[in-house]
Amino acid sequence: MENKVNYDPSFAEEVFRNVDAGDEIKMCMNCGVCAGSCPLREHMDYPPRQIFALIRAGKREEVLGSQSIMLCTSCYTCAVKCPRSIPVIDVMHGLAHYALKQGYVPRKDTAAFGGEFWKQVYRLGRIDEKDLPRRVFFSGGLIEGVRAMLNFMDIGIKLMLHRRMKLLPERKIKGIQSLRKMLDKAERLGKGGAIA
Amino acid sequence: MKYFLYWGCSLEGTGANFLVSLKPSCEALGMEFEEIEDWNCCGASVSYAGANDLAIKVLNARNLAIAEAHAGYDIVAPCSSCYIQMIKVNHEIQEDPQLLREVNECLAEGGLSYKGGIKVRHIQDVLYNDIGVDRIRERVVKPLHGLKVAGYVGCQSVRPYGEYDSVNKPVVQDRLIEALGAKAVPFPKKIQCCGSGIFLPEMDYCMKLVKNILEDALNHGADLISTVCPMCAMNLEMYQDRINDAYGTHFDVPIVYLTQLMAVAFGMDLKKDAALNYNVIPPEGVLQAAIG
Repeated sequence: MENKVNYDPSFAEEVFRNVDAGDEIKMCMNCGVCAGSCPLREHMDYPPRQIFALIRAGKREEVLGSQSIMLCTSCYTCAVKCPRSIPVIDVMHGLAHYALKQGYVPRKDTAAFGGEFWKQVYRLGRIDEKDLPRRVFFSGGLIEGVRAMLNFMDIGIKLMLHRRMKLLPERKIKGIQSLRKMLDKAERLGKGGAIA
Repeated sequence: MKYFLYWGCSLEGTGANFLVSLKPSCEALGMEFEEIEDWNCCGASVSYAGANDLAIKVLNARNLAIAEAHAGYDIVAPCSSCYIQMIKVNHEIQEDPQLLREVNECLAEGGLSYKGGIKVRHIQDVLYNDIGVDRIRERVVKPLHGLKVAGYVGCQSVRPYGEYDSVNKPVVQDRLIEALGAKAVPFPKKIQCCGSGIFLPEMDYCMKLVKNILEDALNHGADLISTVCPMCAMNLEMYQDRINDAYGTHFDVPIVYLTQLMAVAFGMDLKKDAALNYNVIPPEGVLQAAIG
């Protein structure tokens, strides 16, 4: 009987080539332990097992347009449980990075949070815990920002009253210029490349 | 014994009670700490949204390289996220000489290099294996008698490598709690994730994770929950009001750092050393009752 299912391997090859840890999925036997162990599995459109199967099936749009590639809490449960020792979390992070690079936004708020987080690391060398949420809140516009600020004001005040908020702005580390040079080089050299 | 203490960004802010209590309680056990000069952020778990994997590795390798070039002591990282980021680079470099070359090619842009000679340790690892429960027990002057503690291990302090404790059934934190005279209650959700670094942007989904953890601790009779991670502490403590509103629960459970319990049991100042006034949900009541 003729095989009517024609899988297109071009997307899988694209993932192996361009996504950090992307070639790790070659080991996947689709057992589903990663999906079963994930704390946010119930909110995922496609759990990791299905993402890997979709990559093999050449479903580019479904994978890069999926929300679950950016719902990873980085708890490492999947990585520990995987019987084929796939660092599932690294693959999901790699895919999310690649999706952003291709212009997809898997999860709006987490993308804004992670994006601002990295910008701050690049700018200061450290994280300013007051400044980061402010930038994230206002990344979606003024009105949304004001609403988010009001919504989280109670927590900010409590932290401040309990001495858990640095009042002075975080300063750049002394070696910030040389750190940036190192990171620029890594962005050029690394498989995952740089997000424009 | 001397260590580099890499406390990271959170322990100067939202996790300040961890750092304030860690220094005196660990120094009382003979540990000495040095800061890694001009250290940078570890990138935590969300940097992939801006950076590729190599850049995040280089970010961590810079700290390791500075530590190696100076005294080469073991690095103690109390924050689980800092710990996992650093130890991950170390492991991957050991497995992959090509990666070590690439990392060094980038470090060279700033005049640094790393050979892979530094050990990265979690604070629980050091307390359990270098100091040991016997020496901790000997230092206790105010045993936390009758205090029922749910030791919340979280994720990144043991997973994925399980360097010093089981990834599936960790016991180290419970043994340390018991050394202080308290009772470590059974707590199956002790390794369940709290949402970690994406709690804030994904709060609607992550609140339920925290609810389940708090519920499990209380169902097993805990007076309070201890933790060794600033994200766990933040997520478990600061959102209890919101969880109560969303789920009709009545949580009001103090969340303390293990090192705060140590400072209390070592008879130190409850504010200056144990930093109990930094906690939003006050733990003084149950702790005073335990030490009498």
